[in-house]
Amino acid sequence: MVILILAVAFGAATFFAVLPSPTQIASPNLRQLALTTLQVLDANKALAKVAFEDLGDQAWTDLEIALSASLPPNIVYNLTVYDMVEVGDATTYSKVHSITNSESGLGTDSEASTYLVTSTNVTFTVTPQKISGTLYILNCTDANGWWITGYTSQSLATDLQNLLSPYFNTTVMVQNTTDLGALLNGNEISSFPHENVTNAVIINTCGEAVPIPSMYADLFPRDSYAEYCYELGKRVNQYNWTWVSIVGYPFYYVSNTVKLSSSHNSWGIYGMRNVGSGGLNSFLRGLDVENYPSYSYDGSWITGSPGVVYFSSNASYYSNYYGLYPSPYQTATRALPSWIQGTYHTTVMASVFNPVSDRYAAATFKHTGTGAFTAIGLTRTPDIRITGLALLMYYHPIIYKSEFTLTAGERPTQRLVILQLSQQGGG
Amino acid sequence: MVGVTIDHLVATTAFIAAILLFVGLFAQTIQAAILYQQNRHVAFKASDLLDNILLSPGYPYNWGETNDTLSCFGLQKPGASGYVLSSFALMRLISLSGEPVEYPRDSGKWYNNISLGPGGYLFIPISDSINYETASRLLGVNGTYGFQLSIKPIIEVSISEYQSNPLKLKVEVNGPGFPLSGANLSYYLYRSYQTGQYPSIELSIGTTQTDSSGVTYLNFTFDGASETYTIVAYARLSGLLGLGHYSHETFTKGAGVIPFVVDYEEGKVYLAHSWDVHDTGTPVPNYFYSATFFILTEEFTFQEWPIANSTGQINYGGGGGQYNYGETTLPVGYPGFLLVTYRSGDDYGMCIMPWGIGTLAVSTLFGGNPAGNVWTATDLRQVIVDQMAYQVQITCWSLSGYQIWNSRGWF
Repeated sequence: MVILILAVAFGAATFFAVLPSPTQIASPNLRQLALTTLQVLDANKALAKVAFEDLGDQAWTDLEIALSASLPPNIVYNLTVYDMVEVGDATTYSKVHSITNSESGLGTDSEASTYLVTSTNVTFTVTPQKISGTLYILNCTDANGWWITGYTSQSLATDLQNLLSPYFNTTVMVQNTTDLGALLNGNEISSFPHENVTNAVIINTCGEAVPIPSMYADLFPRDSYAEYCYELGKRVNQYNWTWVSIVGYPFYYVSNTVKLSSSHNSWGIYGMRNVGSGGLNSFLRGLDVENYPSYSYDGSWITGSPGVVYFSSNASYYSNYYGLYPSPYQTATRALPSWIQGTYHTTVMASVFNPVSDRYAAATFKHTGTGAFTAIGLTRTPDIRITGLALLMYYHPIIYKSEFTLTAGERPTQRLVILQLSQQGGG
Repeated sequence: MVGVTIDHLVATTAFIAAILLFVGLFAQTIQAAILYQQNRHVAFKASDLLDNILLSPGYPYNWGETNDTLSCFGLQKPGASGYVLSSFALMRLISLSGEPVEYPRDSGKWYNNISLGPGGYLFIPISDSINYETASRLLGVNGTYGFQLSIKPIIEVSISEYQSNPLKLKVEVNGPGFPLSGANLSYYLYRSYQTGQYPSIELSIGTTQTDSSGVTYLNFTFDGASETYTIVAYARLSGLLGLGHYSHETFTKGAGVIPFVVDYEEGKVYLAHSWDVHDTGTPVPNYFYSATFFILTEEFTFQEWPIANSTGQINYGGGGGQYNYGETTLPVGYPGFLLVTYRSGDDYGMCIMPWGIGTLAVSTLFGGNPAGNVWTATDLRQVIVDQMAYQVQITCWSLSGYQIWNSRGWF
């Protein structure tokens, strides 16, 4: 009886615990092979040309030969091309042509990849709407950065220029603190015809430090240059600027490698002076100059550390819209509190992350009068795509997409190519 | 009573035997299932590892064009997207396919040998190359997984002499699964001739098409047996591009002039005397050479690019630490090939060196040795290198777990 029970149990276990064949255990990744095959065949737009040829054209035969030649002998394929026609909000697909080297089908173990090709006589253009106002990027060679570990402020400035300049009529790199001083005095600093100091966007690439012109260091030295931060806030209000801080605690240090050459930020970086948490309060008071007409010091620490924060639904939408894909969750340790809206008469606009405990990890605080402050309170190191996204969410310029065809739109402009692969033998 | 006891003993023994038998049978099933899981994991790892290598340029991004120490390993061409590889990064990999070469001999300076066949050379200093251990460590699989990468053109273009006088060359174009029939074939034939002291090259260009078996014949009017020439032919069909080359020389006294990349980052190349690599006996020839660099354009044509010291004389070293060589510099980051034609008396020779492995469709094999492992997983991708269609195959195996082999034996 015992033997019978065990035999039945073993038989049942063997029946149900069917192990797959070696082919199934470690078959090549056919989906990726299909995708890379399509990419190789589309080198120099060759596949796109074939996909729009008439069915009797030699190009289809050539494609069949090329497919057979490029795939390993034990791989069978089926390549199908579909027309894509947009009807209202829906897209319909109709089969155009199919080529295969398998008469009996590819079986259930096949994998497929899709590839979108565009007619070679079609041109797509993408033109972003221009944000009114000049983009100034602080690229000061005589200022050091902090919390931009792994980057230099100059490399960040270049990346930001590449990322954002298509959205602005004029982008000006502020090359040194002298230029910054001129800008703070309301002067144009380039020969670009459309440069306009008013309504500009200024991005500080030095992280938690802010460059300080020598003249301003002499004029506003109080409380370890917190007074200078107040002046910055006033200028933002005066010229209706949007001031952007890319990482960490804003205005925590000031930097000028010449003027402050003998000072260090208490971490051994010379050319920098520790302002402390009072710098941000001073800036916000300057921004709200109507209610804080004269400088006064407040050294309290106001940012919070909500930890991991997640993209708002708006951020997800604009991330797709502008093609900017930073990680949708980040760690925030210097998030601004919600109460500064009431205290400094600002309104939160375009928050990149959902607020946590009434703290905004990346958002633009627009003053009820003029001026705005975009603060990215994430921990180091900075991801400038977050900065780009925050600014684009705030200004939300429209992307104009155009399509031009030479044949007056008679033929479909896009076709979907599906390559299905299956492995033969070895089972 | 005794009978009952005996019955009891027999029953107990039978019961224990049955239990042991079926425990063994179950254990076999479970063991097979565990092995299945392990092997499947290796297969996944192979696919992941391959994509990690092919879809990242590594760091520094342009490490293929410098002598920089790597902090991240990847073969993607900087600035490109998708499966497009840097032909210079591939050139810095220590190849398993050729034995290292010492130059000058007995100097202790060894060169990575990416074998090209007769007349073709690619020697890179091993000190400037990336070895398997470094790549494995940077990929984070050191000690856990072994791998080997095979990077070879999808389309093989083989050229052979079909008839010598007048010269008729046979070109065969094949993929891994099928011959490439109806492919457009273009060729550049560089023929050596003497003008004064230094040899020169004469270029012939032509196009044709392969037949239904992927074969075509190229006809020339000269006697192939008495001429020195190199032909580079490429075939194109529906996005696929393959290339082959073939050299014939009348010089038969050794290897002649051999190019060595002595400073990778600077693109400095020595044109070495073969006697400094192998003692080919006496008399030792005296060479007059001409070197020409052809750069690969975006339209996949080869255009001449002026280089320094393009002509010169190389006598044998004579020992005493003194070695004679020609020296030139190639443009860093610009793929192409170096063609050297040389003369010794009335005999002519030619050699060719790719600069970036894609321009001459060079294959390379990089990684560890999978021999002895019970289970290896493979995966492959189609990629582009210098506009050329390549196939990258990874072979991956586990270095830990059950039924694996390492230097200490079986586990």
